[in-house]
Amino acid sequence: MKMNKSCHIYGLFQKTMKLRSLFILVLVFLVQLAQAQQEYSPDYMRSIGKIYVVAGVTLIILVTLLIYMIMIDRKISRLEKRQKNE
Amino acid sequence: MQNSAQPVKASRIALWKWAAIIILLYVFIAGWIVPLKPGIIEVSPNKALAGDKLVLAIKGYNTFFMKDPNEIRAWLRLTGDTVIKALHVEVVDDRHMRAAFYIPSVFPVKQDAYPLSLVIDHPADGSSVLPNAVFITPAGDPDSAEMSLWFRDKIDHIHRASGVRYPFRNILAETIRNTYFHVPMWFSMIILFGISAWYSLKYYRNGFIRYDTISTAFIKAGLVFGLLGLVTGMLWAKNTWNAYWSWDVKQNMSAIALLIYAALMVLRTSVEDDMQRARLSAGYNMIAFVLLIPLLFIIPRMTDSLHPGNGGNPAMGGEDLDNTMRMVFYPAVIGWILLGIWISQLVYRVDLLKRNQ
Repeated sequence: MKMNKSCHIYGLFQKTMKLRSLFILVLVFLVQLAQAQQEYSPDYMRSIGKIYVVAGVTLIILVTLLIYMIMIDRKISRLEKRQKNE
Repeated sequence: MQNSAQPVKASRIALWKWAAIIILLYVFIAGWIVPLKPGIIEVSPNKALAGDKLVLAIKGYNTFFMKDPNEIRAWLRLTGDTVIKALHVEVVDDRHMRAAFYIPSVFPVKQDAYPLSLVIDHPADGSSVLPNAVFITPAGDPDSAEMSLWFRDKIDHIHRASGVRYPFRNILAETIRNTYFHVPMWFSMIILFGISAWYSLKYYRNGFIRYDTISTAFIKAGLVFGLLGLVTGMLWAKNTWNAYWSWDVKQNMSAIALLIYAALMVLRTSVEDDMQRARLSAGYNMIAFVLLIPLLFIIPRMTDSLHPGNGGNPAMGGEDLDNTMRMVFYPAVIGWILLGIWISQLVYRVDLLKRNQ
């Protein structure tokens, strides 16, 4: 019982650790993004024959389709859950 | 599920879906890897006085000036055959060169300022043009004897670049590759909305609620593709036309078309009864598709537009889409349309499951 409880606490601890590391990762990413924003100028997008515009367009398409796919996936999971409950 | 006890055989992915994957892989690889033809990015100075010597510093893109530097020729062109040849050309490195011209003090036509285009010819790189490279202001004391200088030289024995390369266009540069990503989004959207209208018609004739579900799934996927077309177009426009939104005819009309379909999706949620909702949206959907034709194909061609192929000219021609690009563009259109149909099918299957529960 005691063992179980400590395990539970340890699990909780692990979870918070995971969350915290994720949080730090996001924070680092945000700081990097902010720095990139400061350095941003149209010159950057237009350097090397405006190749970054093509990169941006490709990324927008891929990320949007990925998000749409995740949304469909979540919908399916919800349906599965409901089916299991019935 | 009558035979849930039986092991379910894993269903295979249909052949056309494999085709979509392979075609899109080809499009991404070819669209990104094939280099551009050589071109001229900029020259300096871009203003000069007539009747004076002018040394232009020329910056090339994908050029190899160091190869056969003595074979390079340069001209400044006023119109058609009215050109002046460079007195001499000096190569700095592969990307940079200088060309010296003498600008005659008189011009065959009378204008306030004379825009001259720069033409370069190179045995390996082929010929490249920078339109309106230099603006010349007329000289104070024109010497009419210099008129003959304009007609002394001719642009002749032009070389052509060899190999598989995409055309270099001055404002577009590398973004010409967006033809394989931005343009097919709209093609897919139109096809998806077309299929949706077809199923709406089928619903009107047969009254099966299944057709309504199919038609709605195609609208949902079509909206995603239309939105992608709009956003990618805005990013492209920011870096070529200098504004995210220039109130261009085609931009406005495509936004209106998207709003019409978005309104349909909102309208659907406001009707409680299934049959009524299906009937209403089938009628609306068919009208919306009929409206799409003037909005996207007729009105943009009647006025001037920043988009190529508008203002009377047929699209898909000239130097914006050459034969090398067609080898990627047509597969790209087919691939993205197949992907659109695939996504619509997934949406339909989820909606069907939801309806049956």
